[in-house]
Amino acid sequence: MALHINLFHEIDKARQLKRRDPLKLSMYGLSAIAACCALFYFIELGRNHVLHRELTSAQEKFRAIEPKAKAAKKIEDDLNVEIKKSEAVTQRIEQRFYWAPLLEQLSQVVPREIQITRLVGDVTGDKSRKCALMLDGISTGADPRRTAEELRTAIAEKFAPKYHSVTSTFKSLDDGSELVMLDGKQLPTATFAINILLTTGDETTPVPPRKK
Amino acid sequence: MKLHREEIQKLFLGGLLLLGVIYSYFDMLLFPLQKRQAAARKSIEALEPEMRNAEAQIKRTEALQKAAPQKTAVIAQINTMIPEGSPVAWFPPKVADFFKRQGIEKVTSKYHSEAPEKEISGYRRLAWGLDLQKVEFVQFGNALCALENEEPLLEVTALQIDTSRDGFDSQRATLTVQNIVKQ
Repeated sequence: MALHINLFHEIDKARQLKRRDPLKLSMYGLSAIAACCALFYFIELGRNHVLHRELTSAQEKFRAIEPKAKAAKKIEDDLNVEIKKSEAVTQRIEQRFYWAPLLEQLSQVVPREIQITRLVGDVTGDKSRKCALMLDGISTGADPRRTAEELRTAIAEKFAPKYHSVTSTFKSLDDGSELVMLDGKQLPTATFAINILLTTGDETTPVPPRKK
Repeated sequence: MKLHREEIQKLFLGGLLLLGVIYSYFDMLLFPLQKRQAAARKSIEALEPEMRNAEAQIKRTEALQKAAPQKTAVIAQINTMIPEGSPVAWFPPKVADFFKRQGIEKVTSKYHSEAPEKEISGYRRLAWGLDLQKVEFVQFGNALCALENEEPLLEVTALQIDTSRDGFDSQRATLTVQNIVKQ
């Protein structure tokens, strides 16, 4: 068996030590980490650039659209005012109190035995229109007081389907001193005054009191 | 492996340098960049609803502009019905002409008062007293009906019909009317 003697073992050891030098290895590792960090930074920088481009584009778009939106808002406000005004006028026209149908209905219930000498009417209120009518007149017939009473009830019955809260009450009913000629007969008279109250429009119902 | 004193010093110095580099990398490069990114994202997110609102506002207004002529037709029509100039100048002859067409002569108009229209800005309400000295009930009823139908801006708020002293054939009517006119 041949004897093998390594005369360079010192040199080999030194070479081995140099190859496993921790300082060198750590430098390699650190360089790799630094490269990764730099790469990550550049990726982030790219993302940042894209984001800023998006932001600039969005801001430009918003700057372009904002004055249009403000102008549109002003136009919308003005139009809404006009529309509200138009609706208010329509409502005002539709909520008017119409006297002609009332007079027509009244003329239909006045019999030939009654002469209306005075009619006074007044309308108050905005949404719920309250009308107060006062009729003065002379009634005749076999029983002039009864004729006047029939007129009073006839008025209430005639107005009730069209108007709300119709009331018809006598303010006065007195026997008259004069006689009138009707159908060739002398008949007694009575003078009367009837107050009529009625409501049109939205009827406001009173809120019932709470029960304890 | 045994490190020499000089090598330990180098390692310590290298470590310190490494810490400094890491601190600088994060504090001066990466974190400010990420902060800028977050701020940009936040700004974009904040702009998005505002843009949506602005676009919606424009669309809403366009739709309203299309529908507006129909919705404001009444006010446009009414504006054409109100003559120019002072109502004191045009209202009495207009009313007199109207009743004349209905066969009622001798109509006098008297200006009573004026009040602003609260709900209808730019308009006011004038109160007038109309005196119809000689009318016949049915004829008056027909005239009143025509007045209420033809003059939507006019409302009769009170009326009084009295038997004429001349006899039962004719009556005297007094109307209180309110008329809407421009400011």
